[in-house]
Amino acid sequence: MAEPSTLQERLAAFVGQPVGSSDVTAAPDPVNLPMIRHWAAAFEDANPVYTDPAAAARSRFGEIVAPPLMLQTWTMATPTITGIAERGGSPVDNPSGGALAVLADAGFSATLASNSEFEIVRYLHLGELVSASTVIESISDEKRTRLGPGYFVTWVTTYRDESGEVVGRQRFRILRFKPGAGGP
Amino acid sequence: MTTPRLAWHDVHAGDELPPLELEMTATRIVAGAIATRDFMPVHHDRDYAQQQGAADIFMNILSTNAYCSRFLTDWAGPEARVTRLAIRLGVPVHPGSTLRFTGRVTATSEQGAEGLVEVEFRATNELGDHVTGTAEVGLPLGPDGG
Repeated sequence: MAEPSTLQERLAAFVGQPVGSSDVTAAPDPVNLPMIRHWAAAFEDANPVYTDPAAAARSRFGEIVAPPLMLQTWTMATPTITGIAERGGSPVDNPSGGALAVLADAGFSATLASNSEFEIVRYLHLGELVSASTVIESISDEKRTRLGPGYFVTWVTTYRDESGEVVGRQRFRILRFKPGAGGP
Repeated sequence: MTTPRLAWHDVHAGDELPPLELEMTATRIVAGAIATRDFMPVHHDRDYAQQQGAADIFMNILSTNAYCSRFLTDWAGPEARVTRLAIRLGVPVHPGSTLRFTGRVTATSEQGAEGLVEVEFRATNELGDHVTGTAEVGLPLGPDGG
């Protein structure tokens, strides 16, 4: 098999493939009230269905539900604090090459988050264990942007419950660009 | 005891959501980063953030999503179900700034036992738009929700 030659061809091979080293990331802990309470306090979100069992029981949810936009939090990697700055903020050692590494090697090393789109299929209850799988959906052609030449990379994370039912999805788009190559 | 809630029949296209204004302190930004389990130093370490070319630490995206959700449900109440939240990210949020959310209802529809409300919104600070976005919120229909 001939080795793909252009950057565009090498990037195209990642479309439809998982991001990172493993296909599925399981949450380290089930949906739980202490983390919900911490979240609600941090954002001063007084919605009683997140933290008040009696109020939640009177609501249409019938019991405590996790804040819907907490979905991504459940599967965030438990960090190794030592060395996190030296790893550029990556919570864990991240040897997984992938499209972003190919782009970085080609000089497109800077990242700007562009879009996030959450679809919440259903709210989660206490005790549920969430897992996430992330696949690269698309990689653009090289674009001229105000920050310089770059590529838009879009990935989709699908969140599932223990039975494999989809509970939500997130589409996330970043721009990878060459730092310092922008306009005046 | 009753909890405040938005009645479906009171929601109409063109309605404005109550604005949400947040004084963004370092404490607020760090608390949000840790509560969302995001330990990237740019969200809590000013020296590190400045080495990376930022003016100061800046709010993480999980916190942005959290505040968008709070902005919606502060208005729509505890019976509301956020079903979609799509945001385009703009300028960063640094300590010492004020973040102000505004939004309005763009459409309503009924689907099964739920009334769906489409909202467009933005959150701005002194630098410009931090986010612009759209969301869909479900409210219960029927005798109890109508």
